[in-house]
Amino acid sequence: MKTPARVLVEQVRNIRESGRFAARSNALPTWCPGCGYFGIHQGLSDCIAELGLSLHDVVTVSGIGCAGRYAFFSSTYGLHMVHGRTLPTATGIKLANPRLTVFAIGGDGDGLAIGAAHFPHIARRNINVNYLLFDNSIYGLTKGQPSPTSPVGSKTKASPYGTLDSPLNATLMALTYGASFVARLFAGDPKGITKALIEGIKNPGFSIFHIYTSCVTFDKTFKTWTNLKKWVHPLPKGYDPTDMRKAFDEVLSDDFSMGIIYNRGEQL
Amino acid sequence: MTEVDFTVEVCGMAGDGTIAVGGLINEAMSLGAFSVLGFDSYPAEIRGFGRCVTNSRIGSSEIVALGEQAHALISLNDEQSRSRVPFLAEDCMVFFDSAPPTKVTEDKSLLSVLPPGAQIFGIPFGNLAVSAAGSARGRNLTALGGFAAVCGISPDLFREVIGKKFGSKGDHIVSVNLKSFDAGYEYSKSVFANRLGNIFSDVESNAASPRVMLSGNQAIGMAAIDAGLKLYFGYPITPATPIMEYLAKYLPKQGGRVVQMEDEISSIAAVLGGFYAGARAMTATSGPGFALMTELITHGVMAEIPAVIIDAQRGGPSTGLPTKTEQSDLHAAVFGGPGDSARIVIAPTNVSECYYFVLKSFQLAEKYQTPVIILTDFFLDNRVENVVAPKASEEQKACSNVFPEESSKDNYQRYHYSSSGISPRAIPGMEGFNFTATGLEHTEKGIPDYSPETHSRMTEKRHQKLFSALVDLKEPEEFLSGDSLDVGVIGWGSTFGSIVEAVQRLRKSGFSVGALKISSIFPLHSEIIRKFMAKSTVVLIPELNYEGQLANLIGHLDSKPVERLNLVTGTPMPTSVIQERIYQLMEVLAQ
Repeated sequence: MKTPARVLVEQVRNIRESGRFAARSNALPTWCPGCGYFGIHQGLSDCIAELGLSLHDVVTVSGIGCAGRYAFFSSTYGLHMVHGRTLPTATGIKLANPRLTVFAIGGDGDGLAIGAAHFPHIARRNINVNYLLFDNSIYGLTKGQPSPTSPVGSKTKASPYGTLDSPLNATLMALTYGASFVARLFAGDPKGITKALIEGIKNPGFSIFHIYTSCVTFDKTFKTWTNLKKWVHPLPKGYDPTDMRKAFDEVLSDDFSMGIIYNRGEQL
Repeated sequence: MTEVDFTVEVCGMAGDGTIAVGGLINEAMSLGAFSVLGFDSYPAEIRGFGRCVTNSRIGSSEIVALGEQAHALISLNDEQSRSRVPFLAEDCMVFFDSAPPTKVTEDKSLLSVLPPGAQIFGIPFGNLAVSAAGSARGRNLTALGGFAAVCGISPDLFREVIGKKFGSKGDHIVSVNLKSFDAGYEYSKSVFANRLGNIFSDVESNAASPRVMLSGNQAIGMAAIDAGLKLYFGYPITPATPIMEYLAKYLPKQGGRVVQMEDEISSIAAVLGGFYAGARAMTATSGPGFALMTELITHGVMAEIPAVIIDAQRGGPSTGLPTKTEQSDLHAAVFGGPGDSARIVIAPTNVSECYYFVLKSFQLAEKYQTPVIILTDFFLDNRVENVVAPKASEEQKACSNVFPEESSKDNYQRYHYSSSGISPRAIPGMEGFNFTATGLEHTEKGIPDYSPETHSRMTEKRHQKLFSALVDLKEPEEFLSGDSLDVGVIGWGSTFGSIVEAVQRLRKSGFSVGALKISSIFPLHSEIIRKFMAKSTVVLIPELNYEGQLANLIGHLDSKPVERLNLVTGTPMPTSVIQERIYQLMEVLAQ
């Protein structure tokens, strides 16, 4: 007789045998329940499984912050760096051994504040690194300060009267810096993330995946799940990601269209 | 061969060809089997019409320090050369242009300020060059020819090095320069026929000489190439830039890459990434850049990732004195950065050691899985010495990483606790050894853990590793020592040559003095240093910094206070200053 418990046991066994969870480490993620990072974790793990990448030929480099902990939750080789330096570290790794598939992972503070100086340079060098930028517009691990992508007027404990600074747009920056592959994605859509990653990994140069996500603990007003679900939507039908000028038009006119924004279409 | 210890300076304005003449003297005398140490100084401002001075010290025995008093001055611009007068020996030979391109007024004249004993040789440099080769541009070579004849140096030595230097520019250029040189040589020979010296009369070309003229920076670049460097990441900064430029030229030829990064932070991050993924990687910087690297250096300490970092010191703090020499980054190199972050710091004292220390640093970094910092300075980076051609054996080039045993596969502990502190290190691509390296405190498996037990144990492990490294680090070396000493001088880096020479001179006068060279700055061979200090009645530590940074590091090893000699003049430590200080100490002892 199939009791619910037996069904669950069978499901778990099937998943295990399918290898879908192979890219996840045994460590339990330290993220809060409901955190958008679980969706990204699922999207990336599934991508590694679907592509059948050997886990010992993949390196995950992560920075500091909630996203920085990612390297511990992946069973690939991992390198948990200091704050903001994932991109140059990933550059060293990829040049040392081009056979490795390299993922760089960090949040909006790690990548757009302390580490922002490295973003244009990895793009112009076009190093074959896949950069997942987790953008929840808040500093989570330090308990809720405004980030470079927080909207003007954000009120936090560190900005009780509201912020004055304009937010950065990582997708627009990536296009401006000449990144050869740019995707804008949503943590609530792990399948979409997997799909874009599979395309992006094919790009022999620098690929950035700008992922909108939610901090359920410290952001109750801006990038909440309710708001994000309301705001995000696919790119227009027939959108051509190889046209850079159109990509700029799209990003300048719409902050929430999701998908592959730009793909220079480079071949190895 | 008669005993020779001769210093010659060339002084002129930027554009006079001053540096070229200094270089030719170095090369020619090296070819003549002399020991040569040369150091140029020129303005930091690229376009500033500044003074250029070269100093070449030439000896029949090993030259270890800069010449302080010139025995000859070749003046290509009299107004500029006036600044050199305090540095001339009493009977210095002075070669000047007796028909300069612009008339020299009294207040700008060199002759009016020369000491009475100076031997003056006026040669119409420009006129001779024009009549010999059709252009006054060769006046620097005419001057060189005039100098060679008076000193009795075979013109063939110079003809050979002129041919080598200008050979790539075509036969015409070589012949024009040779004509200018010959014109000066013949002029001196006939006009000063009764004043010709024979200081270098025994000299002849020694083509079999295995010596090569190298700067400290070239030696560093060569060592990195010979060590099989794969990746260089750097950011331009004086005085480390020539290392990047050298590697940019030669590294691609052996399949490596030089990447000019966006700053020093990204440079060290990429070096850590490169080593983490199994390639030999290096960066070179100076104090301001080194300061930016310190956080990531401690990441290398914590995550146990090798790195090789050259800190070519210059005057500081902050932007400081970019083109001046100083030894003031010792504290930063040993202690810079958060936490108990011990790392290996070594310091070469001459050009040859620049090569062998850098070569060794890759093996040290790999074996002990920690950043290795090599401290040089502006003087050591830029001075040239004709050293015995350095060469790396296969053993010195070999990878010294400790790889995990096949048996530990699938149950691998990256930070496995061992008595030596060294844990086998896997490289991405090795199946069954996946791990995550982290700058957080971690367990043997590499899992973040802040428990008192883990942090205590792992801190101890990382320090144990450094103590283990002492066996592979060069021990302090005694020079001209004895069982007991009145004054024991301890030194490091580019200053050590002056120390040895000062001690050498005083011993010749019968003083009981000795010197100890410290090349491993951290960890220290404390017992050897302690013994040397114990047998010295007075311990003196001369350094080119204000705080006495080595003295601070080792002063506690003996109960008596250490005497310090600190200069922050931005110039190399003069031998005479050390000598004078030792005299003073001896006088106090005698009282």
